[in-house]
Amino acid sequence: MADRSGEPFLSVRGLRKSFGRFMALDGVELDVWAGEVRAIIGPNGAGKTTLINVLGGQLAGDSGEIRLGGLRLNKLYPHQMSALGVGRTFQIASTFRRMTVYDNMLAAHNSASGHWLSLSAQRLRDMRGAVMADLERIQLASMAEQVVDDISHGDRKRLEFGMVLATKARLLLLDEPTAGMGLHERHDLIDLVLREVRSRGLTLIFVEHDIDVVFKAADYITVMALGQVFAEGLPAQIASNAQVQEIYLGGR
Amino acid sequence: MSERDVTLPPRNGAPGAAPAAAVRDPYRVDWRTTGIVMALVALGLFLLPPLVVFAMIEVMIFALFASALNLLLSYSGMVSFGHAVYFGIAAYGMAILITRFGWPMWLGIAMGPLVSMLFALAYGFLCVQLTAIYAAMLTLACAEITFAIVFQWFDFTGGDSGINGYVPNMLGLSPGNYGLVVLFIVAAGMVFLWRIIHSPLGLTIRAVGQNPARAAAMGHGRKRVQLIAFVLSGFLSGVAGTLFGVFHGNVFPDYVGVLYTVDVLVMVLLGGLYSFAAGIYGAILYKVLDNLIAHYFEYWQIVIGLILMATILLSPSGISGAVQRVLTRLRGTRHG
Repeated sequence: MADRSGEPFLSVRGLRKSFGRFMALDGVELDVWAGEVRAIIGPNGAGKTTLINVLGGQLAGDSGEIRLGGLRLNKLYPHQMSALGVGRTFQIASTFRRMTVYDNMLAAHNSASGHWLSLSAQRLRDMRGAVMADLERIQLASMAEQVVDDISHGDRKRLEFGMVLATKARLLLLDEPTAGMGLHERHDLIDLVLREVRSRGLTLIFVEHDIDVVFKAADYITVMALGQVFAEGLPAQIASNAQVQEIYLGGR
Repeated sequence: MSERDVTLPPRNGAPGAAPAAAVRDPYRVDWRTTGIVMALVALGLFLLPPLVVFAMIEVMIFALFASALNLLLSYSGMVSFGHAVYFGIAAYGMAILITRFGWPMWLGIAMGPLVSMLFALAYGFLCVQLTAIYAAMLTLACAEITFAIVFQWFDFTGGDSGINGYVPNMLGLSPGNYGLVVLFIVAAGMVFLWRIIHSPLGLTIRAVGQNPARAAAMGHGRKRVQLIAFVLSGFLSGVAGTLFGVFHGNVFPDYVGVLYTVDVLVMVLLGGLYSFAAGIYGAILYKVLDNLIAHYFEYWQIVIGLILMATILLSPSGISGAVQRVLTRLRGTRHG
């Protein structure tokens, strides 16, 4: 469990984002401490994915403030957020579909190396050991030479997560990491995520619909509704919150 | 000049192709194949009649030009509907520097590819602000503007009569010798292109080309990376354009025009998207058809059109894809 005595690692104040007349985020307040595993839940349309997209730089917030490790980051682009140590996965696994599994992971290492402008193939050769070790860790080493288009949805999700790890992100934003996976696969993946996040001391924010996964993984849960934080607390507190049960848990 | 024997990692088709038993180094330049092909071409340059040699020179120049475009189409995720600009403007740049500004011939020739690079930088900067069809239309607009200027600014560019005789054609060399010059420069260009694609930069370009959102989330701004690819492509197109200008000793508005753009697009499609050798195969096939069929059949472009349709329908991965499938099958039977 994260130490909550100091300053929060990520701090969001009054964040708003609208699409036309629809207020997707209507003054979100959120504090996440370093080393925490935070689940964000809520009914469809609550603004969960929009929040992740603003935090990842895919969308720009209309107003409000985001601080990460004391730095104020408003309206940065995704590649700038990435440079600050924010890594993310997408609802639909986002990988390089025409490359092999190996090259996908290689691309992640290549990005993390900071030498992406280099013309030296030797740099790529030298990454082989580390790339294979990472593929081993996410159990994809045997598929290294397969084109990503040909591997299963679940494997792609694992690959994407492994790639984000390889970029050396400190804050991971996972948007429905287990969406579309079978029950067994789902728990395997979340176990992998927890293992890696804990052992590396990363901070994790994840959006998830599977309540079992949420209660198993999260240190702390944020419930969103109508673009705002509706409730927040330890899993036990959220589970016993009558209002939450009504709008979300009970309504399933 | 051909490294097609080494399979590119992002290969098209051949799903689940068995990993090679012995791990080949996918990054190294296949010097052996390159050397053999170059030796054969050199032999041809000296043994075959001049008309064939002329055709070979054109094929080599267009192979480089098409391969430069292929860097955009197959790897960087961009489409250029005006790539002749970076080909023809090199010839214009060199012709204008030599005739209008009195630059020494060699300096003017050396500047050709750099002029293309500058245009690619300026136009590319505009085009990468947009994506997909909008970016493609902007490349077309840039090309049309360039063509209009070159066509109408008579005092400076010679208008539709172009600029002639700014260098002795083929530098005064025999066709065979000029062919050798072209062969070495084109081979160097292809090796350079191979090195780019199989480098950290090339991997970045491919990543951005295949999935800009994922690449951005890993730290790569799309615009910056695509602009680099565009400028590199412009430079290599300019090398080809310079060789072409010197070959003929002249330059016309056609060199930057839409016909050349379409020619080279067709070559890449015939050769096969997502394959390194697309430009080489495409240029050979296109020019062979151009020369052979045009000889017997007045409406040869119809034949090219039909062949292109058949390629897109039957083998979207073009000739390279077909060759790859045959090779895979041969290897399969040999090892199986």
